[in-house]
Amino acid sequence: MSGTGLPGARRGPDEDVAASGGPDAAAPPEPVWRRDFPYAAADEDDVTRREFVRFLLLGSGAFAAGTVAVAAITSAQGDDDGGEQRVASVDDVRPDRPVLFRYPTGDDPAILLVRPDGELLAYSQKCTHLGCVVYLDGSGERLVCPCHEGGFSAGTGDVVFGPPERPLPRIAVEVRDGEVWATGIDRG
Amino acid sequence: MADRASTAPAVGAPGRPRRAFRASVVGVYVLVLVVLQIFLLTVALDAFHGHDPGLAWSAAAVSVTLTAAVAVVERLLAR
Repeated sequence: MSGTGLPGARRGPDEDVAASGGPDAAAPPEPVWRRDFPYAAADEDDVTRREFVRFLLLGSGAFAAGTVAVAAITSAQGDDDGGEQRVASVDDVRPDRPVLFRYPTGDDPAILLVRPDGELLAYSQKCTHLGCVVYLDGSGERLVCPCHEGGFSAGTGDVVFGPPERPLPRIAVEVRDGEVWATGIDRG
Repeated sequence: MADRASTAPAVGAPGRPRRAFRASVVGVYVLVLVVLQIFLLTVALDAFHGHDPGLAWSAAAVSVTLTAAVAVVERLLAR
């Protein structure tokens, strides 16, 4: 039932003042009948269908506002490619020991791998599903996300299994005088 | 006057359960729209991780449209 009274109860004079936007409209006074009959009905506090839809409308507005906020933040974060940054010495990178670094910003974990044929590859370490950090599994062929069992190919960054739908962003690397440099990021 | 009084649905007449049923259907319909908005929020978050503003704004536009639809339905229900 609506929260204003019992079913079928007549409206008291105080309620009429509140409903008409009188001086006490902000805080409706207790109706006279409530003082004369101070007992609550079992379903007095139940929510009507209309109230339920209004609650849903509030929730709907909140979700829409949240989605717009996420979109605005996505637009504002820009496309920082990080520029050029030294990653490691070539001698530090071994097939069984990838190098972890940060690129393009200090908040973006990345991983540098060397393939069996000697090719150097670097990827963002953020899973494209929900942003968990991926790691190189024991076989050296997969970058695995432990959060939701997503898997990426270590050779291409493409999704191999699990919920991610986009490949890992690939970081371009160059070797200069025995040093590995990151020179840009391709987000696909 | 007498005719109008005779055609008005009385309390407990068949019209009242029909209105209640319609209100329930509208409630379920609105609930489905709101659940769809939750999905759109996850899409926007996915676009955020993927640095894809186009997808995020598309999801936001659809979500705002759904909110407008819910508001219209709520107004219709209130009449």
